[in-house]
Amino acid sequence: MYCVKCGVKLAESEKKCPLCNTTVYHPEISQNDVQPLYPQNKFPKIKPKSKGFNGAIIILFFIPMLISLISDWQNDKTLNWFGFVAGGLVLGYIILGLPNWFHKPNPVIFVPCGFAAAIVYLLYINFATNGNWFLSFAFPVAGGLGLIISAVITLLRYLKKGRLYIFGGTLIASGGFILLVEFLMSITFDIAFIGWSIYPLIVLALLGGLLIYLAINSAAREIMERKMFF
Amino acid sequence: MSAKKRPLRWVRLDNAAKIYPAARRRNWSNVFRQSVTLYEEVDVDVLKSALDVTVKRFPSIAARLRKGVFWYYLQQVEKAPKIKNEYSFPLSFMSREETRKCAFRVIAYRERIAVEFFHSLTDGTGAMVFLKSLTAEYLEQKHGITIPAEFGVLDRKQKPQAEELEDCFPKNKGSVPLSRKDTDAWRLSGEVQTDGFLNLTCFQIPVKDTLDLAHKYNCTLTVFLSAVMMQALLNLQKEKNPNVKKQKRIKVLIPVNLRTLFPSNTLRNFAMYTVPEVDPRLGEYTFEEICKVIYHKMGAEITQKHMSGMIATNVNDEENPFVRVIPLPIKNMVMKAIFDSVGERKSCLTLSNLGHVKLPEIMYKYVKRMDFILGVQAAAPYNCGVLSYKDTVYINFIRNIRDAELERHFYAVLHEMGLEVTVESNKRWEV
Repeated sequence: MYCVKCGVKLAESEKKCPLCNTTVYHPEISQNDVQPLYPQNKFPKIKPKSKGFNGAIIILFFIPMLISLISDWQNDKTLNWFGFVAGGLVLGYIILGLPNWFHKPNPVIFVPCGFAAAIVYLLYINFATNGNWFLSFAFPVAGGLGLIISAVITLLRYLKKGRLYIFGGTLIASGGFILLVEFLMSITFDIAFIGWSIYPLIVLALLGGLLIYLAINSAAREIMERKMFF
Repeated sequence: MSAKKRPLRWVRLDNAAKIYPAARRRNWSNVFRQSVTLYEEVDVDVLKSALDVTVKRFPSIAARLRKGVFWYYLQQVEKAPKIKNEYSFPLSFMSREETRKCAFRVIAYRERIAVEFFHSLTDGTGAMVFLKSLTAEYLEQKHGITIPAEFGVLDRKQKPQAEELEDCFPKNKGSVPLSRKDTDAWRLSGEVQTDGFLNLTCFQIPVKDTLDLAHKYNCTLTVFLSAVMMQALLNLQKEKNPNVKKQKRIKVLIPVNLRTLFPSNTLRNFAMYTVPEVDPRLGEYTFEEICKVIYHKMGAEITQKHMSGMIATNVNDEENPFVRVIPLPIKNMVMKAIFDSVGERKSCLTLSNLGHVKLPEIMYKYVKRMDFILGVQAAAPYNCGVLSYKDTVYINFIRNIRDAELERHFYAVLHEMGLEVTVESNKRWEV
């Protein structure tokens, strides 16, 4: 019996060509009595991922939370600083523990989630301490940083090429981010804007620009490879 | 009075075996399969009885993988494992839990007896001795015949020999280690089967016609089949990436049985490898040129001197006192990181040829065919195991991706040369 499409000779057990997937049909040959090379539809039982490890992690986070709760309460029968500890532990669990529940945790989802949780925690601290720095400083700084890191992770994960563009762009964005941090510090905490952030911005922008130039110019890239290989 | 119970034997992992437990992943472990297909249906009860006898003769293969503080070790199993049923695909994942109990499986399906080995136990040659001995014991018990201990069949009544349990790497290492530095190869890729299904495609070609062709190109069967594989890989890469300048090197890893170079009767791992390569950026290769590249590469490297240098590189690392005192979990992390970053990048796939399998004369009328199947690599979707038995070469491709694109190209190369190819698979009928 031969495959009508690719012409390969097929063993009797084949109902479709293993090479081109064409259905085997021969009007004079009955395939009813043929046994497959391997049994059909028999799969090993896939054990669900052990929850024991993740349970242990939860307990590891829960114990200090409980000790903090009791210590804080025993002091003057009110909760004063417990919220900070609990918030910190929950944030730590969201970043370190939560991804372990998934078979293949995708950083493109979990990194922004971690930053979002950090922003919520900062908001809580801002209200709990009657601060006035969340909207003008903490939110844009944490949000900006989260945006840059998430963008890099997403691009590295889903783009197979263009690493030099990604790293070059990240360096330039990081320089701009440092400038933003100094500016926000000056307007939130009344610190004079002296422009120290210009220096890292210039260095990072030059380095980033160099990487992008190398990405564009293959001749320059080759020279760099020749001079810098190790 | 009951006889004094002999303590179970244990052995350190040999030099090559050490990487496999460390390199394991959540859904991948390095396992390979060898099988015999008989002319009659396998009697599972007799097979169980034959296995009970055979495991005692092979304490380093019928073993489980255990953890020490600094290294893993193998401990002989107390009793033979149960005979397992076949799944829809070979080489299903062997978990840590499973290797801790028993690091090999015996599977019966219709006329087939298959044994799947975790690679730390042995290599293809050692595994073949185990399979032949198990089959001989089965046939003796089933048919009341006497099979002589020859052609790799061991006498099951004999005690295990010290030389069979020996790690032959340290004593054959050279004085100067060779560099491991090597270039990266083209990476095969495709849509991975989400349910863990492994696609097996077995090509069967006549030994005589294939050898005639190989001799026409002045090469051996291994060189010829490796050249066909490289030609198929070149054609596939060209189809996927027509821009020659951006194409990558085509490299095939060919395991080398060191027993043919060094005096050894070990049943442990004792193999090294050679990796012939062609670079498509240098221009189109004719088939003759590919054969020459492989032939000369193998000729230059499959020598005592070169192999002892390669052995020295690995053994020196293992014998380094600083490495030895590092606790096992840290060693595992470092070895896994090295394996992931270097291990499989240096070749497109492995093509392992066990050669022409011979059996004691009396066994031929009971054994219809034999197969050798490698597991897929950790990060690459293909591997290929070859052996010839009677008048047929069995070439088993395994892949964890959907499309049989490499197999199509491989067939096209064979077909163009005028070889009659029969193909068989574990393809699901209703899909």
